[in-house]
Amino acid sequence: MEKAERLQRLAQAVLEMDLEGVGPLVEEALAAGLAPAEILAEGLSAGMRRVGELFKSGEIFMPEVLVSCDVYYRGLEILRPLIRKAGCGATRGKMIIGTIHGDIHSVGKDVAVPVFQAAGYDVIDLGVDVADEKFVEAIREHEPDIVGLGTYMTSTFMHTRETVRAIAEAGLRDRVRIICGGPAVDPAAARRMGADDASDDAWEAVAKLDRLVEELRSARRSA
Amino acid sequence: MSEIVDAWVRRLKGKLAPVGELTHWQRMVAAFELRRNDLDLVPVAPELDYWQITYAGYSHREIYNDVDKTTDACIRTWADLRTDAIWMYVDISHQIENFIPPEKRPHHFVHRGDKDYLLFKPLAKTIDEAIELYESRAYERYLEGSRAVTHYTPHMLQLLEFQEKMDRIVPVIVGIATPSNYAETLVEVQQFVRWTVTEPKKVKRYLDLALEERLAALDFYGEIARKHGLHFVCLFGGARTWGPRQLREFGYADEIFVQKAVKLFPYVFWHICGHNLPEAMQLLVQWDGIRAVQYDMPYYSQKLRWPEWCESVARLFAGKRCAMNSPTTQVACHGTAEDVRRMVRQFLEATLPHTTAVVMPGCEIDSYSPVENVRAMIEEARRTLLP
Repeated sequence: MEKAERLQRLAQAVLEMDLEGVGPLVEEALAAGLAPAEILAEGLSAGMRRVGELFKSGEIFMPEVLVSCDVYYRGLEILRPLIRKAGCGATRGKMIIGTIHGDIHSVGKDVAVPVFQAAGYDVIDLGVDVADEKFVEAIREHEPDIVGLGTYMTSTFMHTRETVRAIAEAGLRDRVRIICGGPAVDPAAARRMGADDASDDAWEAVAKLDRLVEELRSARRSA
Repeated sequence: MSEIVDAWVRRLKGKLAPVGELTHWQRMVAAFELRRNDLDLVPVAPELDYWQITYAGYSHREIYNDVDKTTDACIRTWADLRTDAIWMYVDISHQIENFIPPEKRPHHFVHRGDKDYLLFKPLAKTIDEAIELYESRAYERYLEGSRAVTHYTPHMLQLLEFQEKMDRIVPVIVGIATPSNYAETLVEVQQFVRWTVTEPKKVKRYLDLALEERLAALDFYGEIARKHGLHFVCLFGGARTWGPRQLREFGYADEIFVQKAVKLFPYVFWHICGHNLPEAMQLLVQWDGIRAVQYDMPYYSQKLRWPEWCESVARLFAGKRCAMNSPTTQVACHGTAEDVRRMVRQFLEATLPHTTAVVMPGCEIDSYSPVENVRAMIEEARRTLLP
């Protein structure tokens, strides 16, 4: 089988929500000599990008997107240690992400994390109902470029202010850029609360992450 | 007989300045019955359930176990703002506590702050556990002493007592969750929607069980309607992120539920505060007996601007449904008063040429929403001239 065909089948497995099939396909691609990073970028991640296109055009909906994300993860689980071992895990940036305290929803985050990973970000998922102190600790531990605050209700979006304040009081605000995500977010309101941006669209958010990382690196260089 | 209700009735009955030519009740009825020519004003009935608690000077913790304070907050807020309906206070514990053994309840709910929603933990992690919850009839075994009995029902009865003693000048809206809402809430929506793809047969079994419990619950509410004058009922739909396939395969449970509800209550409306709306709206105009729909914004990906969206709904609803919307809960919370006014205006301009409207955001007003924004919503509705 040609390399291009193997990668195409991997992308298709993500698209067709083939939870059982993706593992064997990844193993076969590895056995055929494809590089783990290549399988991820041009197979699984290509599938996630196509999922995004179909979601945006209204051809698939959230339930299908979530299962496609699960398929992506199942493949990624096999590849992740190999990519680390090969030392070819250069990323566009590092991010910690979590659903803000008081909120247990994760639909948006469950989609955003694989989308960001597929776009080349190293994402550490802190889970749901994440206390402000946990975000602070995670910044110290992982030294991310971006902090992603998942806020899925109007009231929990309002907690952005407190989380940003906790990060600032820990003396870490200048080290990171903060972006809110979820259906209730508004970029202007997010900025008023001290964050840097917000997005209700995981795919659109990738461009915002790129810009924020560039701004941060530029600020670091100037400093 | 409730002292808090009687105190308010003594204070208000016969002493309230009229708002327009109709009573609030008559205005809501005219809107629901699509009698456009009979309306004097556009009704405005924001879902104030959590917000009114803090507006009235209480914290959420303070009213959690106090029925009188809860009812006091609702009536006090209404007396002040004179909206066209009173929404009863409801929180997630009312809905799911009777599925939880009493000794585990304290660990299941978390009060995060005086203005925050009650946080809860899901009751089942797998679809099999979720099915077991229903098959074991946990909700019957643990009903006694649950907040459905100790807080929700007495609060509802107090408000209905107020409605009746005030000679039905203002309706009380009672929310009843649908099978899809229950099915999603008990297990967390993100799990449920995944299972609609990966475990469709089990999801069907689960929904059938949820439907059975919900149909029995309607018998209880039917008694309330007969004895205590419950007329206006909001059916809280789940299915907020479902796609067409899910609506086709699993929408039957809510449809059967609606068929029974509309026989029990005169004024039933549907609440859908998710985003996959164009498809769901098509279904809702087909379900007989629903008189109005409280709806939200569509997915950003559906590329519909706000006025266009409102107009497309109004055209779909013409002669069939009353449209209930605006502003979005997000704008009500972090927009300005002028943003709120603009959004209400746009909704009404798009809707009133086609059908009746009630100014009512697609979901509950958040507790953090500024008072001036809620007032702006009411004022804008009141000053809108009907066509």
